[in-house]
Amino acid sequence: MTPSSTTNRSAQSPVTLNQVGVNCDVRISSLNGPACERLRDLGFCEQMQLRKISNGRNLICTVCGAKMAISRDLAEQVLVSPIR
Amino acid sequence: MSTVPEVPPTVALVGNPNSGKSTIFNALTGKNQRVGNFAGVTVEVKVGETYNPHGKKLHVLDLPGCYSLRANSPDEKIALEALTGQLPKTAKPDLVVCVVDASNLERHLQLALQVIELGLPCVLALNMVDVAEKSGLRLDPAKLSEELGIPVVPMQAKAGKGITDLKQALRHPFPPVSEATWLANAESDENDRRDFIARLCELAARRPDSQQRTLSDKLDSFLLHPFFGWVALVAVMFCVFWAIFSFASIPMDLIDGALGGFGGWVESLMQPGDFRSLLVDGIIAGVGGVLVFLPQIILLFLFIGLLESSGYMSRAAFLMDGVMAKAGLSGKSFLPLFSSFACAIPGVMATRTIDSAKERLVTIFVAPWMSCSARLPVYFLVVPLILGEKEGSWKQALILFGIYVLGTVTAFVVARVLRGRLGPEATTSHFMLELPSYRMPQWGYILRHVLDRGWAFVRKAGTVILGLSILLWALVTYPKSDSEDPGEALAHSAMGRIGEVIEPVVKPLGFDGRTGTAILTSFAAREVFVSSIGIIFSVEETDDDVETRSLIRDKISKATWPDGRPLFTPLTMVSLLVFFIYALQCLPTTAVVAREAGSWKWAIGQFVFMSGFAYLASLIVFQVGRLMGF
Repeated sequence: MTPSSTTNRSAQSPVTLNQVGVNCDVRISSLNGPACERLRDLGFCEQMQLRKISNGRNLICTVCGAKMAISRDLAEQVLVSPIR
Repeated sequence: MSTVPEVPPTVALVGNPNSGKSTIFNALTGKNQRVGNFAGVTVEVKVGETYNPHGKKLHVLDLPGCYSLRANSPDEKIALEALTGQLPKTAKPDLVVCVVDASNLERHLQLALQVIELGLPCVLALNMVDVAEKSGLRLDPAKLSEELGIPVVPMQAKAGKGITDLKQALRHPFPPVSEATWLANAESDENDRRDFIARLCELAARRPDSQQRTLSDKLDSFLLHPFFGWVALVAVMFCVFWAIFSFASIPMDLIDGALGGFGGWVESLMQPGDFRSLLVDGIIAGVGGVLVFLPQIILLFLFIGLLESSGYMSRAAFLMDGVMAKAGLSGKSFLPLFSSFACAIPGVMATRTIDSAKERLVTIFVAPWMSCSARLPVYFLVVPLILGEKEGSWKQALILFGIYVLGTVTAFVVARVLRGRLGPEATTSHFMLELPSYRMPQWGYILRHVLDRGWAFVRKAGTVILGLSILLWALVTYPKSDSEDPGEALAHSAMGRIGEVIEPVVKPLGFDGRTGTAILTSFAAREVFVSSIGIIFSVEETDDDVETRSLIRDKISKATWPDGRPLFTPLTMVSLLVFFIYALQCLPTTAVVAREAGSWKWAIGQFVFMSGFAYLASLIVFQVGRLMGF
């Protein structure tokens, strides 16, 4: 699997977690939406590094060493900046 | 030395799900634990006892796993109430042990900080240090302790390491309350905590720059694969079902045989009379009817425990989320509905993990439509009659499969309609699920859990069935007739008279009063139908169930209406099957639903709706079938 070109395109400005390609390492720049608190409880905090593992109806990512599955609605509320 | 309080101090264990809290609880309390259910509350707080190194007794509370103290789910509400001393019959904790997964420190510390902010003395149990170190994390417990201002105990609870150190930390006097220094300056608590945790992890839990691909990742690339993941899921579920049905039959036959022998022994000891009849036909037969299902319940919980403990169950929920969404539910409803194929009682209890209150209610509502094992004796009796052949052909297996599909599809349709009618949640609930690393099953914990559940089943269901067995026995026995014929005696009894009264009600479904009586008795428990129909049509019971069912089939296939028409046509049988697929004929389930849903209104509503639905479906099948000339 190759990292999506989306990541390269959006290297300058934050994109939502949905827009990031699979196997990309990103850093959370902000949370924007009604489920922010819940996301923070699960480890999706600002400045936290995460890796997207898979796409789909619910996407999987690793954050703080834990593997989490979250819905696309939630992923839409996570704004990230690619690390590389 | 501080003054010794009269009641033992209470220590509460709090932590995120999967942090190893229950393992520590079991290690601390050994066999002294009990499961406490609190009125109107659906989540369990385990209570146990332990002794600190000075021999001082401590009460230990194992609170439900939670991510925060914001009371987003029932579990979190209970945890918060317990920590603030608002939980009925539970003392406010004198010390809190925050259990954190060292490999997930950034996340788990969020909860730990919130607990410290409550102003309670705390100890941090830094669990799974082995996993953290394997993943390359460099931990510094001394630095953590210094920054947090509370004792930190590195642990590897699964291997029993660190338990003695933890007990040392529970010595009296307890550590002083730590000040939440991170809340000192900024405006938002969230930001303060986040900044503090980031700084703390930088100091005391540094992560390696590159992420390694673990064994769990490799397994997940297969088990969560869009195609192979489904193959694996179907294979696992098939194996579970197959094992439950094939392995359980051995202890079930043993229990059945033992109860039969016990009944015979009691019968031989006593003079014939009402008391003997009550003991043998009422209590032993009635309670035995429930005990017989114990092996299936135990096996089911064993497999659920294995799947949960190994980490696979959350993968199954992840895969099934899309399918469940079609019914307006989420992946979290999968496990409860799957469990209900064996028995709706554990299925309803398993809904506790669902965050969304409305989704949980809908799941509880439709769970009894998953064809449970108690319906099987009825299916085994009726299905061969539809085809007019003996037990065991592939056509019968196909019908049996169709029965399971029909129940499931109806449950999904009703769930979708009901979910729509209940309206949106007060707070939007999104699908979020942790996929923990695969672990070897913790046998000690699983076995304890299985025994707890098994005992709860015997105690709760046994008491309801015992009372009902006595009531049913009385209805079938009194008033007595002079006739020696059991069929006539039954017709003369209160139950027989009730049958006469209900005949006009069941006639549109194709049944006479005798069948109606048998159906009525089966509302206590479905499998009672087979023995009732045996009594009503005066069939002698044999030691072999298959033979008994064959004798019953011979007898009832010859039964007629007063005008000579055959009573049980294939159409009547289909109508009967449809009724059994849909009706909620299980009082223990209704009792458990009332407890879990927190209201008898919901439980009674479910009973009335499902029975009404069964009646209507059966009526349509029979009347339409008759119009079509069957």
